[in-house]
Amino acid sequence: MTAVQSAQRAQSVSRNRPRLLVGLEQAWVLTVRSVFATVRKTDRWAPGLIFPLAMAAVYSSQFARTTGLPGFPEVDSFLQFILPATILQGIAFSASNAGTDMAADIETGFFDRLVVSPVARQSIFVGRVGGSAAAAGFQAGAHMAIFFLLGAPIESGPAGALALILISVVLSVGISGFGLAVALRTGSSEATQAMFPLFFMLVFVSSAFFPTELMKGWYQTAAENNPFSLVVNPTRQLVISGWSWGDLSAAVGYSLLIAVVSLGLAYGAYVQRLKRS
Amino acid sequence: MKPVEAEGLVRTFGDVTAVAGIDLQVDEGEIFGFLGPNGAGKSTTVRMLVTLLRPTAGNARVAGFDVVKDADSVRRLIGVALQDAAIDPLMTGNELLRLQAVLHGLGHRRAANRSAELLERVGLTGAANRRVGTYSGGMRRRLDLALALIHRPAVLFLDEPTTGLDPTSRVAVWEEVRALNDDGTTVFLTTQYLEEADELAGRIAIIDGGVIVREGDPTVLKGRVGDPTLRVEVADNATIELARRVLGAFGDERPARDGRVAIGLRGGAPRLTEVVRALDEQGVPVAHFELDSPSLDDVFADATGRRLEGAET
Amino acid sequence: MTAALDTERDRSRSRVSSLFPVVWMCHRNLTRFTRLPAILVPLIVMPVFFLVVFTSSFDGITRLDGYPTENLINWVVAFALLQGAMFSGVGTAGTVANDIENGFMDRLLVSPVRRGAIIVAPLTYTAIRALIPLTLVTVLAFAMNADVPGGILGIVLAYTGGIGGALVIGCFGLGVVLRTGDVRAMTIVQMTSFLVIFPSIGQVPIALLDGWMEQVARVNPATNLLRMTRQGYLGDVTWADTWPGLLVIACGIAVFGPWARAELIRRTR
Repeated sequence: MTAVQSAQRAQSVSRNRPRLLVGLEQAWVLTVRSVFATVRKTDRWAPGLIFPLAMAAVYSSQFARTTGLPGFPEVDSFLQFILPATILQGIAFSASNAGTDMAADIETGFFDRLVVSPVARQSIFVGRVGGSAAAAGFQAGAHMAIFFLLGAPIESGPAGALALILISVVLSVGISGFGLAVALRTGSSEATQAMFPLFFMLVFVSSAFFPTELMKGWYQTAAENNPFSLVVNPTRQLVISGWSWGDLSAAVGYSLLIAVVSLGLAYGAYVQRLKRS
Repeated sequence: MKPVEAEGLVRTFGDVTAVAGIDLQVDEGEIFGFLGPNGAGKSTTVRMLVTLLRPTAGNARVAGFDVVKDADSVRRLIGVALQDAAIDPLMTGNELLRLQAVLHGLGHRRAANRSAELLERVGLTGAANRRVGTYSGGMRRRLDLALALIHRPAVLFLDEPTTGLDPTSRVAVWEEVRALNDDGTTVFLTTQYLEEADELAGRIAIIDGGVIVREGDPTVLKGRVGDPTLRVEVADNATIELARRVLGAFGDERPARDGRVAIGLRGGAPRLTEVVRALDEQGVPVAHFELDSPSLDDVFADATGRRLEGAET
Repeated sequence: MTAALDTERDRSRSRVSSLFPVVWMCHRNLTRFTRLPAILVPLIVMPVFFLVVFTSSFDGITRLDGYPTENLINWVVAFALLQGAMFSGVGTAGTVANDIENGFMDRLLVSPVRRGAIIVAPLTYTAIRALIPLTLVTVLAFAMNADVPGGILGIVLAYTGGIGGALVIGCFGLGVVLRTGDVRAMTIVQMTSFLVIFPSIGQVPIALLDGWMEQVARVNPATNLLRMTRQGYLGDVTWADTWPGLLVIACGIAVFGPWARAELIRRTR
């Protein structure tokens, strides 16, 4: 579906229907548009799927013996330990698309076209976030399946796998929000892309790749308080220990908190841009 | 031996034949205009002549050297200003001239003197120490020209030197090219502008679809097209076929854009009254009427059956 | 043949020395550097980030039995040095890709400068540019209490390894961008560099690696380069740890250098 067709379809659902329903439908159409945009281009989804797997392959082999160190949590293997990090890296990749796509929409004028159309304005916003959230969910599923085949199961079973997908979706919304905020504020895809290395740095300075118990000093403090650690720790418990409502709600709760902050920033930038346009 | 000679030059890219066997001869001290629409094979030909591309078949000699076997010698003797002046915006004009001088093996002192002389010549002395990024389009082209001249080349290749320039800058570049030629430099100039070829070139070749369709002195070529072109624009499109029939009696039809009929008017201007009378008698309403002496565009149209892209008709 | 062309014929035989063009082409790139300092950012930020993160995140691995040092930075510094140098090599590929895209390469190619000089110039620039991350990481490593029992010679070999690694990646990168003529090909260069340097002994010695990783690290040329670069930070400098690294650099340049030159010449075919 072309961008114009999507916009037209989004508009066509708006006649004589309740506003909320119309808004949801338009959001759905725009979400489908961004999902398709991602699926069609290999360079959009392949890095997020493959690069984290390559990192996991290297680290699980390099650090295989560290799982026996005092302070290391009880795990089957380092691969199992690193699953949340792999998913998190994948999310950082796919979420970066939301921001750069929005910036591209602004640069090409598609954003303006949507804004002047009768599409509910919030759905433009939801469409972008929805697209990368869906991609993150699929990606997390793929990562878990591959890890399972490589002998790193999720101890909390199928319910746990669903929980991880849910966490990925919510966290992806959270990370996408920052990208959207930058895109909407600057209108530049270059500036939006430039901020994503920051997320990779943040992932490293967290408990994602190694337990914070084995770190030292200021770095340990930074890693323990990194918002990503707050999501990764309970997520990892679901992977290595088994089902726990407490862990699920902690992981989803912190992800939601990140999402609220980032979407708040993005929405502020969005409203400002609408005022300007 | 001529500064530029080519025989049966061919260049293919996969299945696409960009240049399909052309012969060229450029005389010493002349400005040779190589004219053709976009995609005709102009740049591919130039790239072969300046050693940037090997011919698939045929051979070419520039400044007396084979462009394939003696590429290095050719490079020492030619100056090249390619399309889209490849000028680093972060460098100053002076720095680029010095770099170019070094690339051609000029010593420190000669490079400095020559740079100063050329900057003066192209009117960039004041801007010499400014970054090229701050130059206007015209200034860049003039700097590019200076860069191509740093080593006093025997043959100067200018690939579309005025494309994208405003009219004033275009005239400034023309003056510079003419002055260079007056000093004895042989210039091989490609252009898609008829006016440019007409203004500058002593001899032209018209390339279309990778082959040369006309070659010679522009005045002679225009003379050969013969009769002046009469263009008639009808006020009512429904009468265009009628107009075509009426005008057909006065000369052969020539290509024209929609809503117009063009013919080569046999007998020239003295027959105009006859034409007007005939149109009036047949009830063809005329919106516009013009008579042109043959132009290079007519030469092009005569050779290809089309008008040159972007040319006025 | 006319008189004018006759005199030109003499000129056509004069040799253009390669030294000055190389110096000036380097000078051009270094000038760009000072005028567009943004180019410096990845060169500075990434190696520093790697050094800090690899040292601090994985500090616990020194507690493994058989880990060669208690001070992780002594082990990781070589990894960060090579990563930094690698960015320099990748950056050079980017510079040349830009030159191809904006036509500057054509300017070089229609000049009588030797084709080899057009390859050597960006490589010289790579080596000079690599000094920035190498020096930055070295200074930072000292600030983070790295030891250098190998002394000055150890530092010299660390720089040699870094510059050598940058040159090998630079040659490879030049080959890739000259073949594709596309800035986007830099991703290939970058990814290949990562893929080569990661499955080696960057963070963990061979003795502590398991499975496929151990097998790969044993045959990975990056392992030899890391050994040479690292030795001065772990103990005395030895010839046994040095020559395999030098061999990797020599072979890398010997393979990718001529390839890059061949690709350059192919551009005019």
